[in-house]
Amino acid sequence: MGERVNADELKSQVLPVLLGGTRHETGEQLLAPGTDREHAVLNALSLTGQVLRFTPPSSPNVFAVESWPRDERRIVPDRLRPHIFRLLDKCTEDSARALALTLEKQKLRPHPFDLPKLDGFIERYAERLGTTAQYWVQRETPAQQSRGYFEADELNADNWTESPLRARAKFLKALRNQDPEAGRKLMQKSWGEENPDSRVQLLSAFQIGLSAEDKPFLESIEKDRAPRVRAIVQRLHAAIAGTTADNPALAACMQRIQRSQSGLLKRRSALKLELPATVKEHETNRWIQEQFADVTVGDLSHAYEMSETELVEAAEKDNNLLFALALMASRENRFALLDGITDELPDAWGRMSGLSGDEDLRNDADELVHWAKVLIKPKKWLPEIPFPAWSWLHRQMEGPLPAGIMREILASQIWSEQLDQEKKGPSLEIIQVICALCPRELRVVVRTQLEPLEAERKHKGSMLLEILDELESLT
Amino acid sequence: MAGVSLEKIEAIAPDQASLVAARKLVKPGGWLGLSADNSGLIWGECQGSGASPYRVVASEIDAGYKCTCPSRKFPCKHSLALMWMRAEGKIPFESAEGPQWVQDWVRRRRSGTGDAGGAEREEAAQPKSLVRATTDEAEEIDPKAQARAAAARDRSRRERETAIVAGLDDLDRWLMDQVEGGLAGFAVHAGKSCRSIAQRLVDAKAPGLASRLDSLPNRIYSLPEHARAMAAVEQLGQLHILAEAYRRQESLDPNLCADLRREVGWTQARESLLGEEAALCISGRWRVVGAISEVQPDRLRRLETWLWREGATDGPRAAVLLDFVPVASGQTRGAYRTGERMEATLVFYASARPLRALIKEMSSPAEECSAILELPNEDLAGAITEYEDALTRVPWINIWPMRFSEARVRRNGEKLFLCSTSGGRAALPMLMSQVSTVAPLLAMEKIDGFGLWDGYGFRLCFAQTPLGRWVSE
Repeated sequence: MGERVNADELKSQVLPVLLGGTRHETGEQLLAPGTDREHAVLNALSLTGQVLRFTPPSSPNVFAVESWPRDERRIVPDRLRPHIFRLLDKCTEDSARALALTLEKQKLRPHPFDLPKLDGFIERYAERLGTTAQYWVQRETPAQQSRGYFEADELNADNWTESPLRARAKFLKALRNQDPEAGRKLMQKSWGEENPDSRVQLLSAFQIGLSAEDKPFLESIEKDRAPRVRAIVQRLHAAIAGTTADNPALAACMQRIQRSQSGLLKRRSALKLELPATVKEHETNRWIQEQFADVTVGDLSHAYEMSETELVEAAEKDNNLLFALALMASRENRFALLDGITDELPDAWGRMSGLSGDEDLRNDADELVHWAKVLIKPKKWLPEIPFPAWSWLHRQMEGPLPAGIMREILASQIWSEQLDQEKKGPSLEIIQVICALCPRELRVVVRTQLEPLEAERKHKGSMLLEILDELESLT
Repeated sequence: MAGVSLEKIEAIAPDQASLVAARKLVKPGGWLGLSADNSGLIWGECQGSGASPYRVVASEIDAGYKCTCPSRKFPCKHSLALMWMRAEGKIPFESAEGPQWVQDWVRRRRSGTGDAGGAEREEAAQPKSLVRATTDEAEEIDPKAQARAAAARDRSRRERETAIVAGLDDLDRWLMDQVEGGLAGFAVHAGKSCRSIAQRLVDAKAPGLASRLDSLPNRIYSLPEHARAMAAVEQLGQLHILAEAYRRQESLDPNLCADLRREVGWTQARESLLGEEAALCISGRWRVVGAISEVQPDRLRRLETWLWREGATDGPRAAVLLDFVPVASGQTRGAYRTGERMEATLVFYASARPLRALIKEMSSPAEECSAILELPNEDLAGAITEYEDALTRVPWINIWPMRFSEARVRRNGEKLFLCSTSGGRAALPMLMSQVSTVAPLLAMEKIDGFGLWDGYGFRLCFAQTPLGRWVSE
């Protein structure tokens, strides 16, 4: 190496030699001109290294333009942030859902700095956590696949296609209730770009306000590629025509229902659902759900030439058929009928809870309360309600139970037995879901009931109640 | 004296379960005496599942603690409960002089060397029950024995110096081998190659250099492939600077020489630094601006607490407290949290750019502080200039603290950069491991903050934004 070498020369002449190696004496004259070759080479290494240390890191000329959405929601107060971290660390899905629902109701959103730390929670409940959370979960999605970021109440006909399926189905249902023609036009417009799942869900919502004016649209889609869509179209056609003759799903159900006469003084019809021999006991509920998916209570009533009340009476000795009727009545929001069925079959909701993908869309809070009141009858319950049933109930309710029902649950024998179970009390999971289902006015009762339990068991539930109280008290 | 607050207890608890378990012990029934002295020490004995009660002691000043229970959580429920009772103030603590086992703990804390696991080794050597002190009887002073010990120490020191120089010669030969092979391909075999020379340096009693070499492969692999060869040139070049400087240390400035010897592996006992009259002491209001916990290749966890002195006009503004704990101990966090503030006197290890320090005296305990930290109004370019100045003075520095004002996080592809907003093109690439946690800051127009620069990636520790404080923990 020469007597004086500047930084540029070290980078342009010595660095390539150091990178390439001196074993084959490449550039030897640059590195070791004197007698102490090792010393000269290592000095060159140190000097070149220091030159690189002082070289500023390369920075790009252009940076991405950030497009974070406007979010009108208030940010959760700082004092609650650590509590939320602690709650969401290993809590049940019910606690997380209760938190997300409360944040949505209170128009609150997580602190933006907490989004990475709460990634799982944000991913699962982004729709309920505001536009920033929706943007966060889609930040790495390619632009052509990403959806828009909307609050549920900001949905309209223009941004309808960009929202999640569940929100779209709810929106369509509400629109069909108000203006069936507008709903049909909206659906017609996007039909060609919908995937099979969307087509099924949207068509299920389409049955609201069904009329003869919908017939041309239904005829245009009756050869859809998805069998489930074709089945729903046939049912809707039949409903418009006021006939059941064209509904193959109804015919299949009727083949499985045995009709007989019973009674001595007064002869009455009795109906019994015969399950196929191949359907095992644990598959019964699922089979019934699939079998009756495209049949309505009205269809059955018409087919057997009896009123709907008579239909329930005729099925009262057969829990499986009652369950099928309960599913149909729940789906169709036939609350009076469902009330009669659950009088005979109080654990209908427990059986429903085992079914996946059967979450009915209820936009209206009053509708939901009405549904819960006719379905949940704690006074008639038998012991042993498994945890998944409670969890399902919270999913369906999308919030706490009506106070009247919760009061009955808290006073029920089942809950008392849970609290006293081997003197240890209910499991962590049950406690959390009960806390999640508990309306604000009854939290004091739940706290009192949980007081004697071990701290380890109840701490997540208690924490959930405290956080919900705090969030709900924010004005 | 302000004690440990409930918020602090919640912050230092390892998890929610520990807090819940501690809550059950917050009652006088399970404790055989609760006492406090007037210097911030509290202690008590808690009847656990063992035959003898656990002895628990804690410091209200810095939330330090010790319990004889076998729990692998730090702090354990007993330590948390003791601090909790004190913080609530509902249960009286008897005023008393600390018994021998409490004094032992205080003495061990003071004499902890602060080097790799020194304090832990000493703790482990003590019987679990801390029953008796070993220094009850005054030792008789024997001048001959003292002279023999001094001579032995001197001989040992000379032998170590000789061993280190021999090790450095081996290091140079190893460096030469790497250069001959070409540094473009160094990263391919860095792991095996560095391990072998690191072992040689351990034998040569230069653990600092050995540790530097052990961590070199990970450092290089953490960089993008195209940057690895350049990083190898830089890092190996620094190793030679260290070796060359060590051979010529007599000609160096004493402070730089102290830096060098520490880098090679010489340690200064904590007690010795605290008792050194000439050591640089700085009193002031210190804010915790970064807390880093990392596992080293030697299975020790390195706990760094970065402090910033508020309102400083002269002397060091930044300081770092270092602690090392065995990974097996389960402790993952230090005693301080980012955002806390304390009034303290720090004593700095001798250095050309003083940074590493010990707390000499704390006049107010570390407590969460939500007030905005006033940082000098210097932009990122100024911070980079300061780094270059430090590199000029101490050519082998690896990590340098940087504070900045009015910067902005920006994205280019998958990478994030901390960019100056006040004109100029200063931009530092941020650590890839922080991409997700830093991403929310992309929405901020301007941030002030503090971070660490290692020449390749910027680790953001703390930022002040219109939405409040962002911390990396």
